[in-house]
Amino acid sequence: MKNRITDLRAERGWTQLSLAQKAGVSRQTINAIETGKFDPSLPLAFRLAKLFGRRIEEIFLDET
Amino acid sequence: MSALNELKATARLAIWTLAWAATLALAKFGPRHVWDPPQQAATWAAIAVNVAVGVGWIVAFTRFLRALDELQRKIMQDALAAALGVGWVLWFAYVVADQADLAAAEVDVAVLPVVVGVVFVVALAVGKIRYR
Repeated sequence: MKNRITDLRAERGWTQLSLAQKAGVSRQTINAIETGKFDPSLPLAFRLAKLFGRRIEEIFLDET
Repeated sequence: MSALNELKATARLAIWTLAWAATLALAKFGPRHVWDPPQQAATWAAIAVNVAVGVGWIVAFTRFLRALDELQRKIMQDALAAALGVGWVLWFAYVVADQADLAAAEVDVAVLPVVVGVVFVVALAVGKIRYR
């Protein structure tokens, strides 16, 4: 699933590690989500959306 | 789940693993090297302690899995599935071959956990690299 996490994170000057710590996951998880290798669960997607102050559909893009 | 909780769960799992290995070694080598000549009561007690510690290890492993974040848990589950699957398939293939008198050599049952362990470690490494 495509997402805008890399852009949103860069806008805020956050590193993958700092975002991971805010979201309560590992840096590897953030990297895997950003590269599209791993789709987050709904609770994690909501946490990320809350951290960026956006709605889920503004961050994760439906490819179907 | 925080990194601190994950670290604590990992440390607890390591302690339980060492305790289980130590009690297994005691149950295995105790009859020959600790309580020589062999005493059945002492051997049964060592086996009972090993099983009890093994139950503790299972609980610690379950808590360890819960403490992982969702990607780490997925990597671990994939590795466990590969290890269980390979162990299961190879073992039953050997049993069938052995019953049909096709197996060239007797395989020690102790080989199975070694194979499962090696497959688990390799699958875990592959998962870590894949999602790096």
